Amino acid sequence: MKAGQVLITGCGIVCAIGNDKGQVLESLLAGRTGVGPLKYLKTGHTEFPVGEVKMSDTEMERAMGIAPGTPTTRTALMGMMAMHEALGQACLEKDDLPHVGFVDGTTVGGMDKSEQYYLDFIDNDSRNAYIGTHDCGSCSEMIADRFGRFKFITTISTACSSAANAIELAADMIRLGEADVVVAGGSECITKFHLNGFNSLMILDHGQCRPFDAGRAGLNLGEGAAFVVLESAESAAKRGVKPVAMLSGYGNACDAFHQTASSPDGEGAYLAMMKALDNAGLKPSDIDYINAHGTGTPNNDLSESQAMKRVFGDVMPQVSSTKSLTGHTTSASGSIEAVICILALQNGFTPVNYAFEQADEGVIVPNMKLAPDRELKHVLCNSFGFGGNDSSLVISNVSNN
Amino acid sequence: MGQLDYVILESDRAVVSGRVLEHESSGNAMLAELYRAHIADWPKFFKMDTLSKVGFVASELLLKQLSERRCGSEEYISNRAIVLFGTTASLCADKNYQETIQDIDNYYPSPALFVYTLPNIVTGEIAIRNHYRGETSFYVVEGADAAQMAFHLSCAFADDRTESVLAGWVDSTGNDDFKSFFTLIGKDDVEGLEDKIKTILNKTNI
Amino acid sequence: MEEMILKLKQEIIEVLNLEDVQPSDIDNDAPLFGEGLGLDSIDALELIVLMEKNYGIKLQDPAKGKEIFKSVNVMADYIQKNRTK
Repeated sequence: MKAGQVLITGCGIVCAIGNDKGQVLESLLAGRTGVGPLKYLKTGHTEFPVGEVKMSDTEMERAMGIAPGTPTTRTALMGMMAMHEALGQACLEKDDLPHVGFVDGTTVGGMDKSEQYYLDFIDNDSRNAYIGTHDCGSCSEMIADRFGRFKFITTISTACSSAANAIELAADMIRLGEADVVVAGGSECITKFHLNGFNSLMILDHGQCRPFDAGRAGLNLGEGAAFVVLESAESAAKRGVKPVAMLSGYGNACDAFHQTASSPDGEGAYLAMMKALDNAGLKPSDIDYINAHGTGTPNNDLSESQAMKRVFGDVMPQVSSTKSLTGHTTSASGSIEAVICILALQNGFTPVNYAFEQADEGVIVPNMKLAPDRELKHVLCNSFGFGGNDSSLVISNVSNN
Repeated sequence: MGQLDYVILESDRAVVSGRVLEHESSGNAMLAELYRAHIADWPKFFKMDTLSKVGFVASELLLKQLSERRCGSEEYISNRAIVLFGTTASLCADKNYQETIQDIDNYYPSPALFVYTLPNIVTGEIAIRNHYRGETSFYVVEGADAAQMAFHLSCAFADDRTESVLAGWVDSTGNDDFKSFFTLIGKDDVEGLEDKIKTILNKTNI
Repeated sequence: MEEMILKLKQEIIEVLNLEDVQPSDIDNDAPLFGEGLGLDSIDALELIVLMEKNYGIKLQDPAKGKEIFKSVNVMADYIQKNRTK
């Protein structure tokens, strides 16, 4: 189904390289990584660098006007910050929200507070209010409740492609005429639970991650939230809001290979990119930049490179993995990287792939240049999740169309 | 279009479109019993978490039931989507994994348990088995709401490629405690889907 | 060594959930990965955990597992030489 444009009329972001769009843009242009030593998460695994959001829970509560003592989670707080920025840019106020849908992607949800208070749940009743903040859906509701009553709220958990799939579902709803405006994206904080889990899979780099580099040794966990406001052209015109970009196509495919590993030929990634291009009515040569999934694991970067080579052949657009700057923000990565793509489109530059030094056999060579000197028309944004759940978005410039 | 074929798989009950499957055990043991009796050629079954085992057995039983009547081209099968719903997601696997990191003196995080702490792994397991490369989604929802499920399932057809969706509800709150139903939806089934799902839901304990 | 190999096979069967596989089904010299038992990368990681948990051997580099898991004989030999418990 291709009928109906899906415009992006607002976006918001919080991640390791900035607490809003302005800060993130500045870091991107400076090529500054947000990955560093652990500060906010309490864990024994201090040997792993991470991409933490540079605010404590208390600081975020204060910024969002949440009364001290109100049960909340880091995932929800980061989500509120990104939602606040997105709604503001799209000129959506409390009274508008009953006409606005909300599709949220998270997988870790409120695990952070469950870890902190788990023993209290068992030993005493002092923290029982936090039991209700554990599940993924409750995080979405906490984010929504901070702003008002939405038309509907849905949560998607498809691991690291959750936020991209949230955007795809929201776009389907707009194209089907089920909604005029939907806020979509994802939020996820770092927890001991998945830091340990990724460590058990031996896919964490003990130093700064190096996507696509020959010496790459795994990913750095990151955290953050980002939301985009998707809107039909009719609704945007009626409300008199200007789009910041357009979601011209999207695709999702299953790799059907392994629970966590990607297939050697990147079949799922290939299908997702082809579907997205087809859905956008574009040729591979129309794409000016690819924001790769590029986790920095030996397996993903090789598999994704193979898939990109199959789609783009010898005419490879510039590619970078901004996970080298933000860390892998897991469920939120799809929307965080979508917002990074929007910033790149609006400001005419290719985000840099930090820490790349040496090319590897069979692996693409990413963009390492910092110059903000390129006009971009169409960009592709990849997000792949465990379970072989692969998604790809095509985001386009609206000022030049 | 008439009613949908379905499989209901609950802790002590297996029903295939109205036909009750005989079994002697219950809970996880019943899943193994059904696997041995009706499937038996996928040893990875024994490595799965309960959520995946339930989804795997239920989908296998359903596809077996439908095999005579709904075959299709390779492309038709390959484009099939999997859309599942549940309230507790991977909670059961989360608890099992948590036990491996709970005790500081016996601290060995299990990679095999960790990979199942995502509800969408069950969709991946089914896709791997059947070579489905369509959309795979797992919606975590408050309760089984036929209207909501019908809405999301009809959205899955919005992409011009998807012609059929393996759909269902799957929840496991403990290793021996689970509820699920599975059905296969074609484009023609979208009309009146809410009522068709309601009809199946009414036969379950969900 | 015989006893050690039998114990190791039982441990492998248990930790990898190799239902319906008996210790005698596993050839001492046959590769653990590839054909045969149908093991994958997650199984390799579980074997690394097994070596740490039961024998106190900490393996930092997952790639090293490839050599150690060549066969039950090679694995048992490695454990004998490197075990700390």
